[in-house]
Amino acid sequence: MANLFPKWSNWLPLHVIVGGGLVATAATAAVTYYFTPKWTRMGYMPTQPVPFSHKIHVSQLGMDCRYCHSYVEVSEHSNVPSTQTCMNCHTQIKANSPRLAPVRESWKSGEPIAWIRIHRVPDYAYFNHSAHVNRGVSCVSCHGHINQMDVVWQDQPQSMSWCLDCHRAPENALRPVAEVTHLDWKPEDIGRTQRELGLELKAKWNVNPPVTCGGCHR
Amino acid sequence: MKRVFQHPPEQPTPTGRKYWRSLGELRDTPEFREFLGREFPAGAAEMEGDGLSRRNFMQLMGASLALAGFGLSGCRRPESYLVPFAKSVEWLIPGKPLFYATAMPRRRGAMPLIAECNDGRPTKLEGNPLHPASNGATDPIAQCSLLDLYDPDRARRFLDGGSGKLEESDGAKFAEWLKTLRESLGANGGVDTAILMEQTHSPTLARIRAELAQAFPALQWVIYDPLRPFNEAEAMQAAFGDGVMLKPRFDKADVILALDSDFLNVEEGGLTASRDFSNRRRVAKAGDAMSRLYVVENRFTLTGGMADHRLRCAAGQIAAVAVALARKLGAAGDILGAIPGVDELAGRVSGQEKWIAEAANDLTRARGKGLVVVGPRQPGIVHLLAWAINSTLGNLGNTLVGLTLPERTPESKSISLLAEAINANKVKNLFILGGNPAYNALAHLNWPALQKKVANVVRLGYYEDETTAAGVRWQVPMAHYLESWGDARGEDGTYMAIQPMILPLFGGWSELDLLAGLLGHEKNDKPDLVRDTFKTLAKPAGDFGSETFEGAWNEFLRNGFLADSGYAERAITLGGGAGAYVTKGAPIQLHPAPTPDALEVVLAGDYKVDDGRYLNNGWLQEMPDPVTRLSWDNAALISPAMGKRYGLDVGDIVDLTAENGTRVRAAVWLAPGHADNSVTLSLGYGRKIVGRVGGESGFNAYPLRTAEPNQLDQTYIVSRVKLAKAAGAGRYLFATMQEHQSMEGRNIVRELPKEIYEKNTGFDEHGRSFVAKMGMDEHIPANIGIYQPARLDGMHQWGMAIDLNTCTGCNACVAACQSENNIPIVGKAQVVKGRIMHWMRIDRYYSTLNEQDEDPQALHQPMLCQHCENAPCETVCPVNATVHSEEGLNLQAYNRCIGTRYCSNNCPYKVRRFNFFNYNERSIQPQESGPFKGETSKLYLGPLGPKGMPEIEKLQKNPNVTVRMRGVMEKCTFCIQRIEEAKIGALRTARDSDNKKVPRDSFKTACQQVCPTEAIVFGDLTDPESKVSKVKEQDRDYKVLEYLNVRPRVSYQARLRNPNPAMPGAEHVGKSIIDNPPEVQSGGHNLHQGYFPGAHGENTGSPARGAINK
Repeated sequence: MANLFPKWSNWLPLHVIVGGGLVATAATAAVTYYFTPKWTRMGYMPTQPVPFSHKIHVSQLGMDCRYCHSYVEVSEHSNVPSTQTCMNCHTQIKANSPRLAPVRESWKSGEPIAWIRIHRVPDYAYFNHSAHVNRGVSCVSCHGHINQMDVVWQDQPQSMSWCLDCHRAPENALRPVAEVTHLDWKPEDIGRTQRELGLELKAKWNVNPPVTCGGCHR
Repeated sequence: MKRVFQHPPEQPTPTGRKYWRSLGELRDTPEFREFLGREFPAGAAEMEGDGLSRRNFMQLMGASLALAGFGLSGCRRPESYLVPFAKSVEWLIPGKPLFYATAMPRRRGAMPLIAECNDGRPTKLEGNPLHPASNGATDPIAQCSLLDLYDPDRARRFLDGGSGKLEESDGAKFAEWLKTLRESLGANGGVDTAILMEQTHSPTLARIRAELAQAFPALQWVIYDPLRPFNEAEAMQAAFGDGVMLKPRFDKADVILALDSDFLNVEEGGLTASRDFSNRRRVAKAGDAMSRLYVVENRFTLTGGMADHRLRCAAGQIAAVAVALARKLGAAGDILGAIPGVDELAGRVSGQEKWIAEAANDLTRARGKGLVVVGPRQPGIVHLLAWAINSTLGNLGNTLVGLTLPERTPESKSISLLAEAINANKVKNLFILGGNPAYNALAHLNWPALQKKVANVVRLGYYEDETTAAGVRWQVPMAHYLESWGDARGEDGTYMAIQPMILPLFGGWSELDLLAGLLGHEKNDKPDLVRDTFKTLAKPAGDFGSETFEGAWNEFLRNGFLADSGYAERAITLGGGAGAYVTKGAPIQLHPAPTPDALEVVLAGDYKVDDGRYLNNGWLQEMPDPVTRLSWDNAALISPAMGKRYGLDVGDIVDLTAENGTRVRAAVWLAPGHADNSVTLSLGYGRKIVGRVGGESGFNAYPLRTAEPNQLDQTYIVSRVKLAKAAGAGRYLFATMQEHQSMEGRNIVRELPKEIYEKNTGFDEHGRSFVAKMGMDEHIPANIGIYQPARLDGMHQWGMAIDLNTCTGCNACVAACQSENNIPIVGKAQVVKGRIMHWMRIDRYYSTLNEQDEDPQALHQPMLCQHCENAPCETVCPVNATVHSEEGLNLQAYNRCIGTRYCSNNCPYKVRRFNFFNYNERSIQPQESGPFKGETSKLYLGPLGPKGMPEIEKLQKNPNVTVRMRGVMEKCTFCIQRIEEAKIGALRTARDSDNKKVPRDSFKTACQQVCPTEAIVFGDLTDPESKVSKVKEQDRDYKVLEYLNVRPRVSYQARLRNPNPAMPGAEHVGKSIIDNPPEVQSGGHNLHQGYFPGAHGENTGSPARGAINK
C-alpha cells in the first residue's frame, strides 16, 4: 500500500505540540502583562530622592494640596513644588533633618531635585488639571488617597478606557468644588449618595465631558 | 426605490474667462492628465527611483528587526523625572506660555511682535495687537524668523584668524582684542577704520554711532543692503529736502496706480499698506464702495494679482508710462523738460495710449483721492514723476503724506567709495556687522578680493558664510533678535523695545554689543543702553512725575512700544529740488527699450529668502512662492510667448550674458502675465556656503548687478542682456506645487465684477445667492446621504470664512500654520514627489479669455481642511481614526491612524497630508556616503540612517501639538489646541456655574491671527453675533464643491473686481464664469434669468454654466 501520508507528516504532531505551546505561552504572557495592572503600572511606587510623606503633611498637618501644587487650578500641569516652597517651612522646621539633606543641597546649589515621575499620560494625550479640579473632580478620583500615603504610588490605571469611563458617567466623580481637595470627603457626609449628588451637579453645572478624540488628542 | 443621481449637466463650450493654475492645465498636456489621475503625484506613493529597491528594503528591515529583538530595549518603561525649579521663576506657571512684547528689525522699520514662550523658549511669534500698525498681524518672514533662532547651522563660535588660520576662541578674548584696538584707534581718530553695516532703525544704535563719531571723528560709516530703497531715498531727499519720509495712505485712496510697486508684499509696503488697502476693498454688503487698483508691472506680483486693471510692461519701460501719464495730466513739466530724449521715451508706450489715458482720467476724477505709487526697483526719476503727478492731482497731503524723521542719520558712504578706500590701502580695520558682502556686494567690486586687502576684518555674522570664508581676523557669532536687547522704530516711527526672550544660545553678540564695546562699554546682558535712550525719548526733560521712570519703562516693555511716538505728519510740497535732481545728470537711469536681442533682467528681492539672508530657513525655503508656486528655488521668469520664441520650456537652462560679459546661468520658468523681452530673476539664491538647508538651491543673480559710473548703487534692472539656451546643460528639476491637487476647473474660485454683483444681490426663494449659484452649483440635486450624519449637538459649532476679496495670497497663513502646528519640512526631492506637508496651501489661479490671451488675471485661494459635516474621509477610514466632533470639527487621531490613506483618496479638496517618512526624526539631507552618495535623501536609509531631531530644533516645537511620526495622516485641525485652551479657560471661570460658553471671538486660529488683511475669520456659528456668522450671512458667501453635499464648514466670499468701464478690456475683467452676451450690458433682472435658468435637473445648455472644463 502506498504511503498515504508523506514522510514529513511524521513530524507534524511535534510541530503542533511545540507550536501550540509557544502560542499558548505567548498568549499567557500577553494576558498577564497587558490585561492586568502590570501594563498600566498600577501600584508603581518608586523610591523618591527625598522621602517626602503626603500623610504627614496632609493628614497630620492639615495642609491643602494647593499649598504646594499651587497652579493646579490654572494650568494643565499640576506643578511639583520648587525647592523654595519646601524651604518656606523647612528653614525653621526640621532644619537639620538628615532626610531633608537633598532639599537643602538643592536650595544651596540651585540644582533642582529630580523627582521620579509616577503618573504619566502619553505624549499624544493632553490632560488638563484645571479643567477637572475647577469643575468638581477631586484629586482622589485619579490619584487615590494620596493623603494617606507615606510613599506615593499609582492608584488608578489611568488608561484611555478608564478616562472614558468617567467621561461617559461623570456623575460618579462630581462633588462640590469646595470639596475637591478634601480627599476624605464623602457625599454621605452631607447625607447624599454619590449618584444622586453627581446627577444633580452634572445637570446644574451642565457638565458634558468630551468623548470625541479631540477632547484629549490634538 | 431606485435613486436617481442628478449630476450637474455636461459643460457646454465655455465662452467666459478660463481659470487655470498652470500652463500644463491650460494646454491639457498628457503629463498633466497623468498627474491629475493620481491621488498623490506620480511616485509619491512608491519607493521606485529612490535608489532603494523593495528587496533592499526588506533586507534592511529584517536586519533591524533582528537587532531590535536582541536588544529587547522596549520591554521596560524608562524612568522619567519631574524637575521643578529650585527657586521659583517670576511669572512662570508650568504648563502655561508667557507672552512678551518685542519687535523684529526689518528693512523699513521694525515689526511689532508678541513672542509666545514655553518654558523659556520662544515657540511662536504673533503681531502685537496693541500696536496701531500691526493689529496682531505679521508676514511670512517674521513668522519664519523664529526658525532661524533654532538653526543648527548658525554660527556658534568665535573664530580668531590671528595666527593665519581660523582658530576657535571665545568672547572674552575677543573683548580683550577689541579693547586693544580701541586704544590704538584713540591715537589716530579711527582714520583707518570703517564700519560696514545694514540700515538700522534703532535710536540707540544711532546714539552710539554719534558717540563713536565723537570719540573717533575719522571713523568711516558705510551702509549697504542690496535691497535698501536707495533710489527712492535719494530722490526723496532731492524733492522734499532732508528728514522727510513719505507715507501712502491707502485707506484714503479711491484710485491707486501702482508702477512696479508691490506694496501688498509686506516686506515692501509694510503691514499698514496691506491692511489699509484691504479695508478699502472689503465689501460687507451691497453698495459698499471699493477702491480701484491699476497696476503696471513686468511680472505678476501679489499686488498685480489684486489689480482691477493690469498692464504688462518691461520694468525699464515704466519710466515711459510715467512720462506719458505726466504728459497726459499736464504734470511735472520741469522734470519732463530735463529728461533727455523725453519724446522718444513717451513714444514707447504706443498701443497702450488708451490704457494710460483712461487711467489718467480716472485719477483726475478722483482728485485728492487718487494715488500713484512707485516701487523701489524703479530709478529715482520715476519716483519724481510720480510725486509730481500726485502733486498736480492734489494728492500730496491727502493720500500721500509727509512724515518728519526725528533722527537724522549722518551721511553714510556707499560701498563703492569704501571699495575705493580699501584699494587705496586706507582701511586697516573693517567691521562688517551683519550682511554678507562677499555674496551680495556689487559684482564689479569683487568683494572677496577686497576683503583680503584689509588687515583686520571683524565679522559679526549669523552664519559662517561666504564673507567669513573670504578671510577675517575675527568671526563673531551674532545674536538673534530674540536673544538680545535692542530698540527700533517701526514703519510708522513708533519707538519699540526689542526684548530678549532667551539668553544667547551660543554666546552671540548683537550689533549694539559690538559697537558699544568699541566705545568702551563692557558686554553684558542688561538693557542699560536702551534704557538711556528710552529716558530721553519718552521724556526729553527727564521728568517722569508720579509715574516714575521704572513705571514708564516697565509699561514700555509690557506694551512693546512707546505710545504716540510715531513720526509726526508734516506738510509737504514738491520742492524745486526735483528739477535740480534731474539736471544733476548723474542719477538719471533710463533703460533702453528691450528687444529680443537685448533683454532686460529684473533683479527683484525674493518673496521668501529676501536678499539671501533666509536661504537656510527651511520653512521659507519650502513655502511655495506666492506667484510662481515654486519652492526651494528661484528661476528665470519669462513669458510663455517668449518661451515659444526662444524654444524654451520649463526647466531649460539658459545663459544670461550682460553687456560686460558677465554670465549667469539659470533655469527658465514660464510665467504667465510676464512682460515680453523681460526676464525676472530674484536675488538671494545660489549661495555657495550655506547651511544644510540652503545648499544647492536656485541661481545666483548677483553677478549681474554692477554699478555703471553714472549710476547709483542699487541696480535692479539690467539692460542689454542676451539670452541663450545653454548647450548640453540639460533640464533643471523644479519643485512646484503648481499642478498638485488640481481641481479640474469646477468653479472653485469665484469672482465677478462689482457692477454685476450690485445687480444681483440678495438671496432667492431657496436662500441661495447669485454667487452661491455660479457654475456647477447653479442647481444642486436633492442629495440624500446614505450615511448617518454626524451628531452636531455641541455647545459651539466652529466655522471659518475666507474673504477672497481681501486675500492677497501673501503666504503668512501658511507660515503661521507651519510654526503653530509643528509641521515638518520634507526637502526638495520630496516636494517634487508631492509629499509636502503644509496643512494649508494657497492656490493661485490665472484666468484668461483664451489660449492666446497673454494678459491673465490672477487670484489666490487659501485651501485647507474644510471640516465637512458630511465628511467623505470619515466614512472610508477602516479604523475610525478620523471622526467628527460634536462641535463640527473633523478630527484626526494620530495614534489610531494606520496609514491606509483612504481618507486622502476620498477627500474632494485634497487637503490631507501623509507622513511618508518620519520627517521630524530623519534627516532630509542627501547621503554623504554609500552607493547613493549625494543622490538620495537619508530618509531612504531606513533604520540604518541617522535618527533623531537636533536638540536645538526640539526647542521650537509647540508643546500643545503632537509631533507626528511616519505612517500617519494629518491635516488642518482648526487649531484644536487653541479651541481646547479657550474651552478649558471657560471651564475655569465657570467653576460651579453652567456658564461654560467660550466668550465671543475671544481667540483666533493661527492663520486668522497672522492675516494682514483679516481675510480669514473663525468662530462660533451658533452665536449669530460672532464675526464669522456675520460674514457667512453675506450674499458673496459660497462653499466650494457645494453640490457634493459634503457641507463644508469653511466658506469663501467671492472676489469682486472693480473695473473702470472706460478701460480697454474692462468688459472681461473679473468675469470668471459669467458669460459675456448682450444681456450683461443690459443687466438687471434679465441677467439673472438669462444665465441661471436652472430649475433642478434641467439641462438647458446655458452658456452661463460653464467655464472651465474641456
